[in-house]
Amino acid sequence: MRKQGKMVIKTREHGAVVIFDIEGEIRRSDMMDATLHQLVKNQLDSGKRNILLNFEKVNFIDSFGVGEILASYISTQNLGGKFKLAKISKKLYLIFQVTMLTKVLEIHENEDSALKSFFKS
Amino acid sequence: MTETRLYRFLSRFVDIRPQEAHVSLLLFLYFFLITFPAYIIKPVKESLLQASFPPQLFPLAPLMTAVLIGFVVSWNAKLLNRMPRRLYISSTLTFFIASLILFRFLFTFGWKGLSLVYWLWSDVFIATSVTQFWICVNDIYDPHQFKRLIGFFVSGGLLGGLSGALLSTTLAELIRTENLLLICPALLIATLTVVNLIYRERQTEKASVPHSREGGQTKIGYLESFRVVKQSRYLLLLAGTLASAMVVSSVIQQQFLTITQRVFPIKDERTAFNGAFQAGLLVFSYLLNFFIAGRVLKKSGIRTALLIAPVFLLLGSAAVFIVPATILLGWAVAVKGGDKSFENTLSQSVRELLYIPVPTEIKYKAKIFIDMFVNKFANGLGALLILFVLNVLHAGFQHLSFLTISFALVWITLIRLIYVEYVTVVKTGLKRKWQDGEKVIDEHVDIDMTRLVFDTIQSREKSSVLYAMNLFDLVRKEKLTPELKEIISLKSDEIRARSLDGLFDVGGETFFPGTEDTLAEDDVKIQVGEIMALDSYKKVMEGHLEKTVSDGRKESEVARMEAAKVIGLMEPTPTVIRDLRRLLQDASPEVLTYALESAGRLKKKEFVPLIIRCLGNPMIRLVAGDALAAYGAKIISTLRETLQKAGEDVEVRRAVPEVLSRIGSQKAADALAAELGRRNERIEAEVIEALYKLKSREPAIQVKEEKVHQAALSQIKKGYLAVLEQNTPAPGADAAVLAGRINNRLVLLVQKIFELLALVYPSEDIVKAYQNLCVGTKKAIDYSLELLDNILDKDLKLYLFPLLEDLPVDERIRRCRRLFKGLEKLVP
Repeated sequence: MRKQGKMVIKTREHGAVVIFDIEGEIRRSDMMDATLHQLVKNQLDSGKRNILLNFEKVNFIDSFGVGEILASYISTQNLGGKFKLAKISKKLYLIFQVTMLTKVLEIHENEDSALKSFFKS
Repeated sequence: MTETRLYRFLSRFVDIRPQEAHVSLLLFLYFFLITFPAYIIKPVKESLLQASFPPQLFPLAPLMTAVLIGFVVSWNAKLLNRMPRRLYISSTLTFFIASLILFRFLFTFGWKGLSLVYWLWSDVFIATSVTQFWICVNDIYDPHQFKRLIGFFVSGGLLGGLSGALLSTTLAELIRTENLLLICPALLIATLTVVNLIYRERQTEKASVPHSREGGQTKIGYLESFRVVKQSRYLLLLAGTLASAMVVSSVIQQQFLTITQRVFPIKDERTAFNGAFQAGLLVFSYLLNFFIAGRVLKKSGIRTALLIAPVFLLLGSAAVFIVPATILLGWAVAVKGGDKSFENTLSQSVRELLYIPVPTEIKYKAKIFIDMFVNKFANGLGALLILFVLNVLHAGFQHLSFLTISFALVWITLIRLIYVEYVTVVKTGLKRKWQDGEKVIDEHVDIDMTRLVFDTIQSREKSSVLYAMNLFDLVRKEKLTPELKEIISLKSDEIRARSLDGLFDVGGETFFPGTEDTLAEDDVKIQVGEIMALDSYKKVMEGHLEKTVSDGRKESEVARMEAAKVIGLMEPTPTVIRDLRRLLQDASPEVLTYALESAGRLKKKEFVPLIIRCLGNPMIRLVAGDALAAYGAKIISTLRETLQKAGEDVEVRRAVPEVLSRIGSQKAADALAAELGRRNERIEAEVIEALYKLKSREPAIQVKEEKVHQAALSQIKKGYLAVLEQNTPAPGADAAVLAGRINNRLVLLVQKIFELLALVYPSEDIVKAYQNLCVGTKKAIDYSLELLDNILDKDLKLYLFPLLEDLPVDERIRRCRRLFKGLEKLVP
């Protein structure tokens, strides 16, 4: 678990998928320790290739948060891995949609469908 | 012998994998068992022809074969398409066994013409049985695998041939030429057994069931095979290469037969000589295969391996005009020996390799057509030309060498063309597995716009002034869709002027007329611009800014954010610059963010050191990078100095390559390449990644090949050290955990190596090879290795492949240890 100001990031594994349970707000003012991107990179360095961000308890993200998510996506994608999001709020999903982030990031309604999607060919 | 023991035994002689041992041994035996009878049948064939006809009529035999072979090809193609592979091969072998016995019986009648029929039959037997063997190999192996094992299979063939030739030599005069044929059926029965074992082992019958069995849809036969070859440039070149080689071979054969008939007039003596010649030829071929062929293929590649034969034969044939008559037999032996030994080793092997990447649905149709029809047609063409030269022009056998020289030149030209096509065909077998993350994002998302949207929404809660200014920025981008306006609470197509009040209600003065009115977007842009240009506004703002900037309390954070944002919209007077400098040293990351944005807009030299310092802070690194990138090429020198400054914060130095990559240009690439040459381990990975991204965006960028090779070898050396660490684990270390850690390290090193290779080799080829090595099928991995084998520099290949190939752990360690010394000399 990483505590960063108001944001808390817990990591767990489900088979070959690493799940980041993020609580709070992903914003720059709350960063103290390693960033989300750094945490994802650590998992990639240890051989993991399937990354899922659980946004159930994420209230808000700022431009820094967007940068972290996209940087994590790039690092995972460039190693042939899969990077997905699950359970983001309707409001956030709407913003993701109008900014075309949904064309890049695969977003699932729930964790089960996200986990299943990792192993579809 | 168990599989492990077999693998350990074979791995002493051949580059083999454990799962390949059993089948490879069976294929070795298969080739041994078909060349054994072939080298009994061949000297018998030649000797009987020489006994029946004078030399000027010898070409009738290959001519007859050329005319009739089309029927055989058609029949063969039909069988190949209609029958499971195992049944196809078994039934043809059974046919040959029966016909051998029949021929022996018919030879008792002494019919001269029978030698011609026998010639045709033996050509069909040799061509069919060898083609079937290579079809079997094609069923099982991929190109890079094939390249490793080809020498092993060829040695089986050579040993079989040698055994047949020795037997012919020893027994020809004892039991007579025709009786030699009775040895062959036993060998072919053994071949039947081995073939069945191979297909049972591999269960390839399912894969070899042709479409015609399922629906009768696929066209088969001679014309279809011809059509398939005609439609493919690659197959046409392959056919042309073989045809040229066969014409040369038939001319050399004619010269050889003419000379040996003169020197050995008695049939059985001649058979014994032919057998001895074949035996000597095979010994030489075996030694050539064992000591030289593999090395040539590995170190010099396919093109050199193919060129050796035509160059030798061109020069050798020309020598007939200067060789004294007394040593003509020696000349004939040398030239025919050279022809056959290269054919047995390098030429045949590489030609078979050239088939492997051809798509399966056309490969076997093409193979039968080319290996049987084109082969024999070319022999026939050679025979016609020989008949013409000898019987129409009445030239001597030496003048046949002009034919050899001409066709050898055609052969050489076609080899150069087919090599290029081979690499293209291998590449076609590889598909990209994924797009680069940055490219995917660039194609779909406007990053700056997206980040601004999120900041605008955030700022709505924090400050109406910030909100207004962010809105203003959004408006200026002119990309506000209705959905976006909805999201950021832009209620109509017009911006509420009220929200701009805070921006312009400064020091008690109101600069925005008609604050109750709403304004159209375009008007906002113009009006804001005009207000900002007013001297009175500037004066008031400067006073306000100074007060705000110097207030370092937490409570005034929002005010400082507003100040940092608005400064970017103002003219850069000395006061404004002074204030922004202060803000660029603020403790709040939110304030710094807006200050950096403004610094990127104003682009003053004074800000650069402060912005660079911000690169060390992960919260604002991205924005600092944006600001520096906005300066463009004029700060490349400064960034270069920062990269090289030993005392600079390592996090700052790590962030600089990305900025240089975003600035782009040859100058930025040169700065990164210079740093590459310094081999600074702390920032090496970032430098490599930045160069790769820069090159992907700007393919015209040049990076010095030498520097990249050195850097790649340096990364390879790190890989070797990681591998060798497995051999000397720390006491108490868990072997599985250590292996996992080393594997992860290798994966990341390989990524860096391929990023470097993409700087100097065709980028798309390197990317495809890398991606397929990461996540491809076994076949795709093999094709990737084969592609790299054909395009990479010799040293890079040699040292890189032990890290890429699927090797048992101890074999990888062994190879790395063996090559490490050489690598250390290149990368001290």
